[in-house]
Amino acid sequence: MTEERRRSPFSAFIGTEMEALREGYARVGLTLEPRHTNPNGVMHGGVITTMMDSALGAALGALRGEAARRDPHATVEMNASFLSGARPGDRIVVEGRVIRMGKTIAFGEAEARRNGDTLIAKGRLTFAIRNRGE
Amino acid sequence: MATEERQAEERPTSPFVELIGGRLEEWREGYVRMSVTLEPHHTNPHGVMHGGVVTTLMDEALGGVIASVRGLETMFAAPHATVEMNASFLSGARPGDRVDVEARVLRLGRRVAFGEAEARRADGELIAKGRMTFVILEGGAA
Repeated sequence: MTEERRRSPFSAFIGTEMEALREGYARVGLTLEPRHTNPNGVMHGGVITTMMDSALGAALGALRGEAARRDPHATVEMNASFLSGARPGDRIVVEGRVIRMGKTIAFGEAEARRNGDTLIAKGRLTFAIRNRGE
Repeated sequence: MATEERQAEERPTSPFVELIGGRLEEWREGYVRMSVTLEPHHTNPHGVMHGGVVTTLMDEALGGVIASVRGLETMFAAPHATVEMNASFLSGARPGDRVDVEARVLRLGRRVAFGEAEARRADGELIAKGRMTFVILEGGAA
């Protein structure tokens, strides 16, 4: 129910799975397929930025609870560093953590790892929180 | 012109961009424009465009524009890869909206390339701005 409402159609469309979700933390996973690649046959950067955005949006949603449904939050800034690549067959896991949540702004960070080991990308995201109700 | 047209036809689109429905609208040396018409599967849980859609198209358009300047043969011999992306999300978009992403090269060095991208809704509203850095990998890729 609530889990389902938090599910992102775009994440489901590209094939990510929510592996863990608790207040301020989310972990999403994906096994890379040929459809996730760029013309060089390696993972497209958009796969990682999508997973980072999803993981942090969900982590913040779990932390905000009911308020997130009333007043949605939206990504306003994302910085990502791509440290290494990945290929079809690799398992990618992205963890998102909320670093700080204020009334109108929240900050988070995300890490992407390949096959449970190598750090392949690191991201920092900022969200704006709408406060319609107040 | 004929050469440019042929290049555009040969220009490879990423399987991932094809999957999400991104279209290459314009491709000439130093400039690339892509578009997507948003559908319900492009949304986040709040029913608006997922940020990943626009970051994917910015990455693709910039990778493409750098390829347009470097030349496809050079690119395949020594691929370039995104190492850094900064994106600001200024406004949103919904299913039914068409989003266009334009990319330009700011500087192409021997080892590093810099570029920027802008995403606009069909009504002209700027919805995202991105800055990316690419590294040019050593020749003899793979």
